[in-house]
Amino acid sequence: MVHSARSCPCVETPARPKRASLRTLAPAEPVLQDTATTRGLACLLLLVVLACTSPLGAQDSTLARLRHRADSLAREWRQANAVADLVDSLERERAMSWKDTIRVGALRILANPSPLPLREAAARAWPVLDSLYGPEAQALAQRPVIIHAFDPDTTVPRSPLHIGMEVPWNMSAAALTQLLLGNAPMPEPDRPLREWLNGPLRPSWRAAEDRAAVYVQLVTAPSQAVRDCFQGRLEGCAAALDVGASPATIETWYPSAAERRSLLTQSFGDFFNHGATSAALRLCVTGSDSACTGLLRSLPRGVLPRPLGADARFTLVHLALRLGGREAYHRLLVDPAAPVGARLAAAAGMSEDSLVARWRAEILAARPVPVEMPSWAFVIALGWMVFFAGCGLRSSRWRMG
Amino acid sequence: MFRALLYSQWKWSRLIVVLGTVAGFALPIISLQGAARADRGPLQAQELLRAVQSWGSLYPVLAAALGLLVAIATWAPDHRGRHVHALSLPLPRWRYVLLRFGSGVTVLAGPVLAVLVGALLATTLASLPVGLQGYPLALALRFAMAVLVAYAVFFAVSAGTARTAGVILGVIGSVIVVQIVANVANVELDLLGKLQVVILNWPGPLAVFTGRWMLVDV
Repeated sequence: MVHSARSCPCVETPARPKRASLRTLAPAEPVLQDTATTRGLACLLLLVVLACTSPLGAQDSTLARLRHRADSLAREWRQANAVADLVDSLERERAMSWKDTIRVGALRILANPSPLPLREAAARAWPVLDSLYGPEAQALAQRPVIIHAFDPDTTVPRSPLHIGMEVPWNMSAAALTQLLLGNAPMPEPDRPLREWLNGPLRPSWRAAEDRAAVYVQLVTAPSQAVRDCFQGRLEGCAAALDVGASPATIETWYPSAAERRSLLTQSFGDFFNHGATSAALRLCVTGSDSACTGLLRSLPRGVLPRPLGADARFTLVHLALRLGGREAYHRLLVDPAAPVGARLAAAAGMSEDSLVARWRAEILAARPVPVEMPSWAFVIALGWMVFFAGCGLRSSRWRMG
Repeated sequence: MFRALLYSQWKWSRLIVVLGTVAGFALPIISLQGAARADRGPLQAQELLRAVQSWGSLYPVLAAALGLLVAIATWAPDHRGRHVHALSLPLPRWRYVLLRFGSGVTVLAGPVLAVLVGALLATTLASLPVGLQGYPLALALRFAMAVLVAYAVFFAVSAGTARTAGVILGVIGSVIVVQIVANVANVELDLLGKLQVVILNWPGPLAVFTGRWMLVDV
């Protein structure tokens, strides 16, 4: 997809003009006229001021020059924006000009003709999307997935595509399904949820493996909150998942001084080891907990690593949506101002404690198989041993002649 | 007859076996030394697992080395004596080979038992963080399988003639040469990769050597 986030670094950031049509560029005259009038007035004002206060003359001329430069930059920015919009439109037009449209449910795929098993992949992906997002998945009808299949065996250069996904046309249905699930153009959730999740909410096609990975985190994460969660204290789980009523503090996530020192020295040692903070870092290393906590508090909240990774929070959201039924995703999004824990509980249709307890039980049940050898592997190893021993029996060393 | 062959086997390979036994006993204990330290915090499970995994890569190396050296030691005196002693025995060849194989397997029991005892001792003495568990039996069983497979492979190669060894080396060399030529000619041919998958993945012969060798895991 083309990201046309063209933010203007200049002083003035006017609103982005409407999308240009294919044939016309948006005229910039009215804005220029406004600017000219403003500038004229400013010049008049400047003349008056110059006449009255001669010592400030040099300052005013600098101001006028800077203002002129800002205006000029704003004009350039508008023109660049209009050109980029035109390019976007042309790209979109080019991408949409292909003939094949595949619809499964609300999932709509536009693609060039190719042997890609798109329909099969869409048929697999749609139920997953529908079950996760519920009625909200209907938004996909307005946002087609654009796929450009290309021949992977040719070295002929192809024109680059800036909209949609380029996919080799020998991709399997399973891989294509994963691609569709991972890139379904759903509207992004609200900012608090996105920040809590560290990204958009996507369907999970390896739920068992995800839960097993979270189990390993529960056992190995260097945090007392996580350890408490593993041992059955639900408040530890809530703290580790950051779903409490109030935002978790450093002390909630890392309650002991040893944890805080370890976190600071391992994750932020280089960051604080210079300038004004190096002395505090040395104090922290030598055992001062107040120094460690002070340094950690000086960091923005989003920078502090949470005790459990994002995949743990994903498993919690998926569980809530699974328990809550088709309307769960809608309920999750309905009140962006509420704490995430309350939103998840509303989505799941149960209390926060019950949801967290259920999550913990699911994670503990997903304990990975510790020894990476299937039970039949010993039989196979013995079989190979017998085979090679048999090869030794057939040696020709004793044959005469 | 078996006792006589076992005695000769022990005589030829005792240095290897003793060293292997010491290494097999020490390896699990060294790999868990961090877990037994008094100053180890309860939150260092990740570091402990990392250390166990790092040391764990030495188990298949030790197994392969033991199998190779004992297999060579099994046949080396016969090769040196041009098999006169073996031919003078009132035994058919197949029985002689089986007895030799059995004697080799018997002396290899020492290092395998050492790994088992060492692993049991290490996991008993270590204070493992909650959630982590020791798997001494599974590790020792896997080590035993790896030692036996390695021994059987090298036993078969050592029992053969120079011609047999030449044929095996020739086949391996040919595969490498074909792969190099294919790469040079820009042909999409991944012989080595496929061979690796066949040999190192289950049910391949060397699959027992691959993967994580964890004495302690979740």
